[in-house]
Amino acid sequence: MKEKRAQDPEDPVLPAVEEREVLLTGPEVGPGEVFSVPIGPIHPALKEPIRLTFQVQGERIVGVQIRTGFAHRGIEFMGMRQGRNLIQILYLSERICGICSISHPIAFTQAVERAAGIEVPPRAQYIRVIISELERIHSHLLWAGVAAHELGFDTLLHLTWRVREKVLDILEELSGNRINYAIPIFGGVRRDITPDQYPKVREALRYYRGLFDELLDAFLRDPTVEARTRGVGILEPKEAEELCAVGPTARASGLRKDVRQDRPYLAYSDFEVKAITPEDYGLTPVGDVYDKIVVRLLEVGQSIEIIEKALEGMPEGEITSFPKIPALLAHLKKAEGEGLGWHEAPRGEVIHYVRLVSGEESPLVWKVKAPTYSNLLSWYPMFEGQEVADIPIIAACIDPCICCMDRVYLVRNGKEETWTKEGLLRLSWEKTRRMRR
Amino acid sequence: MSGWAIFGQAVLAVVGGVIVGLFYRGLDRKIAAHMQARIGPPLRQPFLDLGKLLVKETVIPRTAVAWVFSAMPFLAVLASFTALLYLPIGPFRPILEGYGDAILVLYLLAVPALAMALGGFASGSPLGVVGAQRELVMLVSYEFPLAVVLVAVAWRLSTLGIAPAFSLGAMAQHSLWAAVGPLGLIGLVLLLGSLLVVTPAELAKIPFDIPEAETEIAGGLMVEYSGTYLALFYLADAVRTVVMAGLAVALFIPYGIAGALGLSGAAGDAVDLIFWLFKVFMVMVAAVTTVRVGMARLKVDQIARGFWLRITAVALSGLLLLALDKVVMG
Amino acid sequence: MILKTLLSQLLSRPATNQFPAKYMPRSITGFLTKVQEGRAKIHPPVPVPPKFRGKLGYDREKCIGCQLCIRVCPAKVIEFLPEVKKIRIHVARCTFCAQCVDACPVDALSATPDFLLADTGRNSPNLVVE
Repeated sequence: MKEKRAQDPEDPVLPAVEEREVLLTGPEVGPGEVFSVPIGPIHPALKEPIRLTFQVQGERIVGVQIRTGFAHRGIEFMGMRQGRNLIQILYLSERICGICSISHPIAFTQAVERAAGIEVPPRAQYIRVIISELERIHSHLLWAGVAAHELGFDTLLHLTWRVREKVLDILEELSGNRINYAIPIFGGVRRDITPDQYPKVREALRYYRGLFDELLDAFLRDPTVEARTRGVGILEPKEAEELCAVGPTARASGLRKDVRQDRPYLAYSDFEVKAITPEDYGLTPVGDVYDKIVVRLLEVGQSIEIIEKALEGMPEGEITSFPKIPALLAHLKKAEGEGLGWHEAPRGEVIHYVRLVSGEESPLVWKVKAPTYSNLLSWYPMFEGQEVADIPIIAACIDPCICCMDRVYLVRNGKEETWTKEGLLRLSWEKTRRMRR
Repeated sequence: MSGWAIFGQAVLAVVGGVIVGLFYRGLDRKIAAHMQARIGPPLRQPFLDLGKLLVKETVIPRTAVAWVFSAMPFLAVLASFTALLYLPIGPFRPILEGYGDAILVLYLLAVPALAMALGGFASGSPLGVVGAQRELVMLVSYEFPLAVVLVAVAWRLSTLGIAPAFSLGAMAQHSLWAAVGPLGLIGLVLLLGSLLVVTPAELAKIPFDIPEAETEIAGGLMVEYSGTYLALFYLADAVRTVVMAGLAVALFIPYGIAGALGLSGAAGDAVDLIFWLFKVFMVMVAAVTTVRVGMARLKVDQIARGFWLRITAVALSGLLLLALDKVVMG
Repeated sequence: MILKTLLSQLLSRPATNQFPAKYMPRSITGFLTKVQEGRAKIHPPVPVPPKFRGKLGYDREKCIGCQLCIRVCPAKVIEFLPEVKKIRIHVARCTFCAQCVDACPVDALSATPDFLLADTGRNSPNLVVE
């Protein structure tokens, strides 16, 4: 496949002509010859589209390029510019990601509540905490299964995903859907957790407590899993701090960073959540994939404790400060100000920023920072010096949620530019024209 | 035996081998699924898979070396079928006995792996090249323990007066377990263990399926194969499973039950044949199915080191113990 | 050890929630005919809990045409019919968030447990609620 025309040198999305040729002809491998292995955007190792191009020498990786943007859907644009009011944007934010599905609404509602000065009653805060922790259990179990699948250990995939069905059933019972729970609303939550639902939740927690040791045993004491994950994808604490890694990725390197501990929000101040590092399991943190498995499995245990405490200490009261929707809409339309909302999603810290203008239903600015966005750069030191066989597990170990992460932010000639709808449309027309020739 | 009789038997053996191989593959998938608390595909699924692949379009990539790419599946299938003809099946001697022995079977077992690797190199895809490199590294690593096991059993049997040495038919008629002393028993156990570890490596199954690693290199050396060629590789894999399990049975579990049941003649042969199929099935479950669902995939350097250091050491100790046993027993 | 789990799972029932037929039938219409004649059985779908957010149910009598549901719908699912001051719901676009159910002041909307909504056209009768 040879391109005859000159390529636009400032084109940010398409690869250069020379790079494309190398990828397609599969050059000869001499001793010490370096050649490119493309992983993605469509690849069995990746759950979401992202292009990783590796330069390998035999089995050793000598270079990596990361190209994102394949899952960009223009969600912020849809929220800000298409005339949606804040309640509609709430459901848009919920659908940014399916796995961390309540993290985005929780951060978004907090941002709007801080901007508009809305109070959240304590019972609603507890309910939000319970649903978030249930989601954390579900997300970590999902990740554990996916990591096992990347290692070729399908039995653990089926085991953890079967175990995960219980928490999904509980979430369906509490919220009406297995994913996209639609629980938070500005000023509180939409549904109550009634006392007759407590026994079911407690039974699920008992089930998980009973399974906890079996899961730890299956993952952490299996010789083949240890052989594949120890010493692989090491992220040193200094690098983790410099690259601003968040969530279990940073905690596995020994950094005690957890938003629930550092800046308590909602009801987390009542629970005194401590960041979990591999030291809590008795290991010296190395920052490899094994440590990441340790941190995530221990966090499942921590979530079980938090939910238990929340159920016991659930305060009485109303579940929302604005039971009538028209009143809420009117208040939001009048609101002016900016607000920042944060949440410790299963992948790390997610931040939403809104700026409201009085008299407008849409926010002026809505910016989302997903946790994978901060963890992306930690892929570079993790891939250095590793082997091709380690690529899937290292790619999976930061728990990449590319759909959360993709935002377009173009830097050209040192100046920052934002692409408007017209600009993006023109770009897609040009690309189609190029592809047709 | 007249040429036509041999030809007829060969056709029967090949057809039977294909059916048994595909059926056992279906059983393997079903048992693996139940071990994972799933239902799994129906038992006839491999036949449906083969049929589907045969009707699909066969794509030869433009960057591939076309003649090598197209010839390799045929080579793999022919080698697997030929290996079937040298295998003792049930109470019957190998069909081509006298025209080749266990050493030839060893080479015939290596040819499909080599063919897959060459096909991967010729496919023109960088993923295929990586997979083919890994297959060759693995081939070199497990051939030595396999050869040691074969040589050890063949030699010990020959010292007991069983001739000709290395004849699989002769090996399948005589059991070593009763004829060796305690040292020899330990040695035989070590050798059987090595063979059971080599079996999934030979067949490229987890934990040794690094050449075809699904999640890493999207199929590795098989990534560009489709349609008829993929069907042929699928068939070769199914038949090789039967051959490898049959080899383990011939070397280590050569027992028949017709005598114990007091049957003889055609009825005894039929019962022994069914018993042989059962033995092959049990070897497959132990060495392929259970291992496939119970372990993660190992990396190629871990596999190479493991085979060259540990499995070779185990196999050589088994050989040594058998030799010592001969000295002790006189 | 994993071996214990494998053996115990081998000997117990699979954990699968089954599809209507255990294995893919050769012809789906043939299978459905057999079911109607009583020669084959369908595994029923897993029951959903109460308060499951499925297809919307609409009580036309109660609706007062205030359009609050339209204002809160994130997916532009609800169409206002100005002549009669009632609404029409296009289920194909619905995200099943049930915000309209919460917003309605007269409880004209409800979330039914109906989720088997596969159909051949966006405007087929099953997917438009009036």
